[in-house]
Amino acid sequence: MKIFKENKKAIKITVEALKKGQLVFMASETVYIAAVDATNLEAVKKLVLFKNRPFGKPFSIGVIDINMAKDYVEINNTAKKIYKRLLPGPVTVISKGKHKVANGVEAENGTLGIRIPDYIFFQEVVKNFKKPITTTSANASYQRRPYKLTDILDNISEKQKKLIDLIIDAGELPHNEPSTVIDTTIDDTPIVLRQGDIKLKDKNEILSRNEENTQNFAKELWQKYEDFKGKRALIFALEGKMGVGKTQFVKGLAKAMGIDEIVTSPSYDLEYIYESKIKKNKLIHMDTWRMINPTEEIINLDTKKLINDKSIIAIEWADRISDAIRTFSEDAIVVWVKINYGKNINDRLISWGVI
Amino acid sequence: MIILSLDTSCDETAVAITCNTKVLSNAVWSQISLHARFGGVMPSLAQRAHEERIDFVTNKAIKNSGINIKDIDAIAITIGPGLAIALGVGINKAKKLAKQYNKPLIPINHVEAHLLSSFATSSTNTVLNISFPALGLVISGGTTQLVLINDIGKYEVLAETVDDALGEALDKAARLLGFGYPGGSILEKIAKDGKVNKYSLPLPLVNDKEKNRFSYSGLKTAFVRLYEKEKKLNKQDIFDLANTFQNTAFEHIINILKYQIIKVQNQKINIRDLLLGGGVANNVVIKNKLRKLCREKNLKLHIPYTKKLNGDNAAMIGVCAYLKTKDESLNKYFNFEKIDRNPKLNLKDKNF
Repeated sequence: MKIFKENKKAIKITVEALKKGQLVFMASETVYIAAVDATNLEAVKKLVLFKNRPFGKPFSIGVIDINMAKDYVEINNTAKKIYKRLLPGPVTVISKGKHKVANGVEAENGTLGIRIPDYIFFQEVVKNFKKPITTTSANASYQRRPYKLTDILDNISEKQKKLIDLIIDAGELPHNEPSTVIDTTIDDTPIVLRQGDIKLKDKNEILSRNEENTQNFAKELWQKYEDFKGKRALIFALEGKMGVGKTQFVKGLAKAMGIDEIVTSPSYDLEYIYESKIKKNKLIHMDTWRMINPTEEIINLDTKKLINDKSIIAIEWADRISDAIRTFSEDAIVVWVKINYGKNINDRLISWGVI
Repeated sequence: MIILSLDTSCDETAVAITCNTKVLSNAVWSQISLHARFGGVMPSLAQRAHEERIDFVTNKAIKNSGINIKDIDAIAITIGPGLAIALGVGINKAKKLAKQYNKPLIPINHVEAHLLSSFATSSTNTVLNISFPALGLVISGGTTQLVLINDIGKYEVLAETVDDALGEALDKAARLLGFGYPGGSILEKIAKDGKVNKYSLPLPLVNDKEKNRFSYSGLKTAFVRLYEKEKKLNKQDIFDLANTFQNTAFEHIINILKYQIIKVQNQKINIRDLLLGGGVANNVVIKNKLRKLCREKNLKLHIPYTKKLNGDNAAMIGVCAYLKTKDESLNKYFNFEKIDRNPKLNLKDKNF
């Protein structure tokens, strides 16, 4: 692994590395990204190995402008408007792919996400390389958001470290959100799959298409608030009908916290406590569904002490104790997450906000 | 061996006296309290409620057994899994009694006790013909586990739930249809008058290769979707929906069980018995389905001799304590100060 400071000279070094099919870590306007030649299958396989995720999970690619994008995806009117309004910038636009990238980059349904980062070093590299590069974040799956090199290197194995060929160090990046992911392939209206700093609507709302998306969304929220760990209590208050995926959310949250036990519904026992082996994260998983006087019973579970101890708590059926939770918000960060059924059988609309 | 046993793992405050596998008394608060006579008394999960009831239930169990507390040989106590604050109440009481009467205290796993509850008998001369290895199925509000019992204390979990327990899923479906407590048994009643073929729900995890887990989240989702799609539901529709949900939930159990039985038999493990336990074991429909399966697979189905042993109770704790300790000295159980609750205790963990 070689490390260079980000400067003009590093552009050429980066391009040469990409040409050789190497794995390069470099900055963008959001987080550090793991870049490989998106048209080189061996390079993509290396990236899959580093990210520690199954082959076939798609990667978005970075280009320099809409014309370059057109070589790789079909851009419809919905997409065109977004390119015009929001790019370059922290947005990933999903369109129908033209199968010009390596296997495993496009999604199984043939769609492909395009990024045009608003970041000079990145643009210079792609301009000189003349091919798209992957723009996935430079952390392994379910690990900390990479804003500085230690965020990456402290959270990966030696085996993973060996896979990295080159790192372009740009220091600590401003803590911006990952890109907003917008799908333009379905209707005339663009659909937000991940909410970053750029919002299409005035509220935070994303579409989840399956359990995995919901778990992944929980991971994103954890990464967003993870810095409060040990400073303030953190409560994820979950609202939504039966079967909508509240426990799925907590499964994703637990996974992001490094907990490897199977998370099950606490409806019967009211409370389960999980601890991660490595990072010493502790998650209290509560459920008010079966409580008869939920406001009284939630206090009975020592919730006030848990908040004083700056615990991380997820509460299912939080709407049954909304008044109590409002009082908790004086001493805790309360992230209210509402999950609704969507149009298609597996669709969920998830909205959230801090109360 | 005469054992006084206590269980406060969840809603019920329960105390019992057993002699070997014979149940001498089995007191559970929701059935002996005055309120219960008026029907539908709701158990409470509060720690305070357990504290208020534990002495009353203990005295009742002792009185019903006709045994003098000084004559017991040991005390048995549930240490998990369950709700921490509730478990604590029973453990404190058990330690107090053990100290006061200088008796050994045997820590017990609540799920293990459900698993072995078929061993409980109503008279001293009943001998059960159960041989190991055997299969055990625990289906309750908090647990859904299929276990290979190699011997008392030697378990291998073949399948368990990754989201909701069976009893919990039944209760939730009942509440969606507008029924209150206790959801699962109301659902069973109304399902009797329902048809199964009017509506259809997907069988959970049919494409799962390993078939080593149960899951009810997808079935719940499909049920909500189905329920909301139907605009005007009459009484018969509700019966039909109830029956369809219950039937699909049970078929999932049967499906996994079938696969695991074949898998076990393919490993040349000779299984002759299936032990059933847990609150859902009171449901007639699942019992019939299991009987049919056992006939096909040439297994003998064992169900506790009384319904009371299926719901949360303490007699099963006493019987379990007897089975676990009958061949050893109780000396080490006098050193009980270190006994502590373990809300996430599982069958692989050591209790002591």
